[in-house]
Amino acid sequence: MVKRTSGEGRKNPATKARELPKVATGIIGLDDVLHGGFPAGRTTLVSGGPGTGKSIIGMEFLYRSAVSGEPGIFVTFEERAEAVRENALSLSWDLASLEKEDNFFLFGAHVDPQAAISGDFNVKGLLAILEGKVKSLGARRMVIDAVDVLMRIFDNPARERSELYTLHDWLNEHEMTALLTMKTYESMDTGSRYEFLDYMADCVIQLDHRAVEQVPTRRLRVIKYRGSDYMHNECPFVITDNGISILPISTVELKHKALGPKVSTGQPRLDTIMDGGYRRASTILISGTAGTGKTTLANTFVAAACERGEKVLNINFEESQEAMVSGMLSPGIDLRPALRDGKLRVMTAMPEAMGAEEHLFQALRAMDAFQPDHVIVDAMSSCRRMGTKQSAYEYLTRLTNAGKERGITMILTNQTAGFLNEHEITSLDMSSIIDTVIFLRFIDIGGEINRMLMILKSRGQKSSRQYREFVITDHGIDVLDAYVGEGGVLTGTARQEQEAREATEARRKRVEIELKEHNIKQKRAEMEAEIARRRAELETAEAELKILQLEEGLVQEGRDIRGKMRGEDANSLRLKKRVPQRKERGTGGKEGTK
Amino acid sequence: MNRSDPKAKIKGTEAQGETYILRLFMADNEPNSRQARENLERLQETHLKMPHKKEIIDVLDDFQIALENNVLVTPCLIVDSPLPKVTVFGNLSDTARVLSALRLT
Repeated sequence: MVKRTSGEGRKNPATKARELPKVATGIIGLDDVLHGGFPAGRTTLVSGGPGTGKSIIGMEFLYRSAVSGEPGIFVTFEERAEAVRENALSLSWDLASLEKEDNFFLFGAHVDPQAAISGDFNVKGLLAILEGKVKSLGARRMVIDAVDVLMRIFDNPARERSELYTLHDWLNEHEMTALLTMKTYESMDTGSRYEFLDYMADCVIQLDHRAVEQVPTRRLRVIKYRGSDYMHNECPFVITDNGISILPISTVELKHKALGPKVSTGQPRLDTIMDGGYRRASTILISGTAGTGKTTLANTFVAAACERGEKVLNINFEESQEAMVSGMLSPGIDLRPALRDGKLRVMTAMPEAMGAEEHLFQALRAMDAFQPDHVIVDAMSSCRRMGTKQSAYEYLTRLTNAGKERGITMILTNQTAGFLNEHEITSLDMSSIIDTVIFLRFIDIGGEINRMLMILKSRGQKSSRQYREFVITDHGIDVLDAYVGEGGVLTGTARQEQEAREATEARRKRVEIELKEHNIKQKRAEMEAEIARRRAELETAEAELKILQLEEGLVQEGRDIRGKMRGEDANSLRLKKRVPQRKERGTGGKEGTK
Repeated sequence: MNRSDPKAKIKGTEAQGETYILRLFMADNEPNSRQARENLERLQETHLKMPHKKEIIDVLDDFQIALENNVLVTPCLIVDSPLPKVTVFGNLSDTARVLSALRLT
């Protein structure tokens, strides 16, 4: 079926407007690379060295077509038909039954190497056979595999070119959606010899299989697509037991799910620090030097998640499942029930064992089959050993993107190189795809090494940015209170000593205050006593005064009475004014009282 | 691709005295096919004195025979007998090569 690509899978509005008819390739990821598929009714050239996967691309295209009822013709100049059938069967593609149904025609076009050559000839025989089969099958798709082998019998570049043009014209006239595969050797001068093919074909795909730092890596690159945009970068791919899988990076970027609700870290204190825990569907990086407790922290989460009935996939590049499970028992994390209940699945692999693409494919397949809620990668720093830094980066970004697309929480542990180093998050620039970074480190204070933890970055949630001391006990991780004293963060014994020092100081101060308070109280009491005494003195004085006044009053009274009695009213007035009263009074008083 | 002298492949084979069975595959009336037919006729007169059978097949009329005989290029002469079977590609303009393939030199 010729599939007219609509907007989906196409990015460029300009090419969309042209509506170039395309045919879905049936190969995972290739439609994304080609923005829809092969050009319908046109020729695509697939070139590459021996063993790069050219034939498999062609075969998968036709096989998937035939299975869906679209017949195709596969012509090979290199292999016997029986060998091709066997190879296909190893990918579980049963060509024989498709051939019986007339949905597939496999033509082992053997060029007799013993044939004598006498004069000129052309490919009319081949075209006659193809013409006949196209009619009988109603085929519109064709793969001509190893066309270079056919061309070699001409032993003349000009003739080769002319015959390839004949073949190409025939394919175009018949509106075949065709793939020509062509072997290229770097050592040979094929570049210029078959350069015209790049101009002839409407779409040119180059395959490459090279060992990068001892790790074999397959790559696919579209170098031309007439009338259409395409993905320009090199796309790594794998050949699995079910065909080709191309996982272009840039196609997945936009399908991320939003960060989900909070999910417990498995450590209550850490949940508090992180305002509830990690976010679901986010990517968490636990980074730190060896032995800081990265795996323990990750597995703290795993054990809690599995206990809640959630599923976790652990992609482990560090140790075997047995070693990890027994290693986690000492900090009191028992993963055995999770494994037994099928909540936890551990995928272990040596990073060097295969290329990044193969690792990625296996991880994605496990993710699709197991449908985990969370994925642990322990440790992403080991991915470096898959080959180059670039391949490790691609593996991790694509894995993380796949996780984000599926709403999976990803926890990556990362071993940083140095001891007691500063905030080295990761040697790979992954910061854009990582939502949360938990940094673990040792800190050396007073000759003692203690573990510290800090949330360096946490997208979409608030968190405390303090260093926290944590300890790994036999019942898991314990996060201690944030210590915010003088001179930064202290841990362990130093912290205890400092705390004790401060407690003593506080006690001393308290005593001092109490003492002062007491003193004041005493002073106040003294003062009050003094006031009371003075008041008493004053009162005494006043009392004396009153008594004196009273006495004086009595003396005067007596005088007045005596004066009246003597009839000296006028004198009495004068006397009063004139006083030396005391004298007068004193004597008078005495006199009076007598 | 082995381009050595076809003689090398038929060493020890005694072709003389056997019946030649020749099949010439060609495509319609295109120049190479026409030339091949003419060249073969001339060879019959000049070199194939012994009894022989000749069949001319147009692949455009019967692609099935072409398929069965794996005839990808035309013209193509297949010598079924005497054994071993020999194939000659081309318009047969190089007489020496044809004779060598037929073991008639």
